[in-house]
Amino acid sequence: MKRTVLWLSVVAILVSSACAALAAYPEKPIHVVNYVGPGGLMDVTSRKFVSVAKKFTDATFVIENKEGAGGLVGMQAVLEQPADGYTVFAATTSNIAKVLTSKKNVDEYVWGFEWIAMLMKDPECLIAAEKAPVNSWESLVKDAKEKNGAQLWTGPAAGGNDHLIAMKVWDKAGIVGKWIPYKSGPEAMMALLSGQGVVYVGNPADVGGREGFKIIAVARGERMKQFPDVPTFAELGVKGLEDEVMWRGFAVRKGTPEEAIVWWETLLKKVVADPEWRGFLEKDGIDVVDYGRKEFTEQIKKDLEDSTTYLRKYGLIK
Amino acid sequence: MELFDHLLYGLQNLAGVTPVLVVIAGVVVGILGGAMPGISPSMAVALLLPFTFGMSASMGIVMLCAIYLAANYGGSITAVMINTPGTPSAVVTAFDGYPLTRKGQAGTGLGVSLIASVVGGFVGIVILILFSGPLARLALKFWPAEYFALAVLGLSTIASLGGGRWLESFVAVLLGLLLNTIGLDPLSGVSRFTFDIVRLYDGFSFIPVLIGLFALSEVFSCIESGEVNAPSVVPDKDKSPWPSVRDYLKLKYAMLRAGIIGTVIGIFPGAGGTIASFIAYDVEKRVSNDPDSFGKGTPFGVAAAEASNSASVGGALVPLLTLGIPGSSSAAVLLGALMIHELQPGPELFTKHPEIVYTLFSSLFVANIFILILGLLGARLWIRTALIPKRALYPMILAFSFIGSFAVRSSMFDVGVCLAFGVIGWILTRYDVPVSPVVLGMILGTMIEQNLRTTIMMGGPGLFFSRPLSLALLTLAFASVLVPYLRGRKSPSSRKGAGGAA
Repeated sequence: MKRTVLWLSVVAILVSSACAALAAYPEKPIHVVNYVGPGGLMDVTSRKFVSVAKKFTDATFVIENKEGAGGLVGMQAVLEQPADGYTVFAATTSNIAKVLTSKKNVDEYVWGFEWIAMLMKDPECLIAAEKAPVNSWESLVKDAKEKNGAQLWTGPAAGGNDHLIAMKVWDKAGIVGKWIPYKSGPEAMMALLSGQGVVYVGNPADVGGREGFKIIAVARGERMKQFPDVPTFAELGVKGLEDEVMWRGFAVRKGTPEEAIVWWETLLKKVVADPEWRGFLEKDGIDVVDYGRKEFTEQIKKDLEDSTTYLRKYGLIK
Repeated sequence: MELFDHLLYGLQNLAGVTPVLVVIAGVVVGILGGAMPGISPSMAVALLLPFTFGMSASMGIVMLCAIYLAANYGGSITAVMINTPGTPSAVVTAFDGYPLTRKGQAGTGLGVSLIASVVGGFVGIVILILFSGPLARLALKFWPAEYFALAVLGLSTIASLGGGRWLESFVAVLLGLLLNTIGLDPLSGVSRFTFDIVRLYDGFSFIPVLIGLFALSEVFSCIESGEVNAPSVVPDKDKSPWPSVRDYLKLKYAMLRAGIIGTVIGIFPGAGGTIASFIAYDVEKRVSNDPDSFGKGTPFGVAAAEASNSASVGGALVPLLTLGIPGSSSAAVLLGALMIHELQPGPELFTKHPEIVYTLFSSLFVANIFILILGLLGARLWIRTALIPKRALYPMILAFSFIGSFAVRSSMFDVGVCLAFGVIGWILTRYDVPVSPVVLGMILGTMIEQNLRTTIMMGGPGLFFSRPLSLALLTLAFASVLVPYLRGRKSPSSRKGAGGAA
């Protein structure tokens, strides 16, 4: 009898504390795990997000950097934590491609997460050196036809998002190029400036502050406000590249309590409405979005499908 | 003259209690971070990055640059005192710094590394301010073919590092190169020898390997030889342990040469201070009247290593400020810091925010002066390490090795890596195989592989010979291996110390 009472009280305490925890998300610090080092693109984004979010919530955020293996180390670290919403993975498009190219289990590394908040769409674009002979879409196509497969495209890692966009462009425009991967985006841009390749695949922000670059085409439905002279692919006669983006967003482990997810979705709406946040991103030509679970999951599905198709088509995976 | 006005203006921004405190804080954190094995300059800068968010943009950058510069010096302290390079670029400092300590001349090692760091730092900054334009154009002349050739030139320094033990050095460098094949293929992303361990996807983390090879292997060797119980070398009480001004003056050309080499190599992204120090050391050994003293504790070796790695800081800022491309991993963190303050790094910074650029330049000078002052104060403390009995010191080295390895990525896996490489290093040393070529192979392996394959993708192997700069560097590398080899064959009597392996 005594024992039963003891057990009951233990259960009662556990249940009540669990309820208390649920009732008050977040009641302890939330860890945001970045897969890049401090100062990296996603790191800068998460830190800015947190600093804007502090206007709307008293929650404490801890930004962590778990670098390595193109995000797999960070993803694994989050998947090892309990699914309570207190460990959040700060993801970008590249992570999805990485899971595929390194042949990791998609069900574990992609669908082991609940994709809760997509912050932005950074349109993909082609960048050329301003003074090079190839500095427009027309000259690029002409050069590609002349070189017949030997035209060099620069960018970061093979199989990453930028490479994927390159493959899509080749496919849709009916040209062939050769992808030369560099250690990082900036190094690939330097290579472009020194004449090693003719075009770099990146985002509008890449030309900011740097001299000698020119965006020649953007994979967006309409022209960007910040770069009104840059034509879209559709205007150039290439269809099917209206919405190619690099996104950044947050994910939690599958099984996280509904309440925590709703809390994040609500917070995202508030942050997105904030002028400081919008200004920070829009100056670089980035489209601010406030996608919750449903739309974000759709985006992930599209990414997986596209990546698999093109990586297979160009022989990067079987 | 306009330049001086700008610099003076920058200095004015630094006058006041707060800016000076910011610089001092940066220098202290940098020196301590650099000295702590496991915290490289880029990590020291990254760790303090969040603290700068609340500061004004220029103060934040000033602090981070002070840390960056100071950390490159800090790494030499542990390299000299306990043969544990605190940063990858201090590996070369240990070659002669530690033998000096063993000879009871720790003061010389510490003093020279400090003065050489400061002089090298100044050389780097002056070159940065005066010649950043032409240097940036040089950086753009470097294609993968040239990066490959530069890495091969770096590799050729083993010809002199091994001290006549050709075969052993060759085996060691091959081991380093082979270790580099572990991880994801840098071009295609295919996983190689990873056994599906995610921690191995980027290969072995460099710092745990470094700590294992140098610090742990030293501890193991000491335990084996019973040297642990030997009394520590007590410096002569009557004589000042510190070198005189005249001693430093003897090193002036060595520091200048190394400073220039360090700055120039520093401008190439991916090359950086570590390769610069290997090449500067090699050059110094070649021009020396007494090349045999290298590796046995010559102040010239320490001066070359430290001057070049500190000068590389100025070099790494060249592409950052002129092209918006970071020249090193620490410069990459600086780039992030600028972006957080909503400043676009690159040429636009000069036109839109000249005050930030010139405050940065001036702050580098000021930081360098504080490194000198704080370094001189600190050295009095560090030199006491030599008095700690080995029985107490070695367990501490062991503990710090593990903490340092863990700190890199908060991973127990890396502690295991450190331990394993400690054993490997001990075995290598036992059979007279030098460990520094292993490090060199690991540093250069990725650079060689990536650039070799990129060049072949771009236009075939012919590019290595049709590009004049690449051809020149390769010829230089070839000659620097061949000449000492031929010389060695002419006078076999000059070969020494091969007995252990035979």
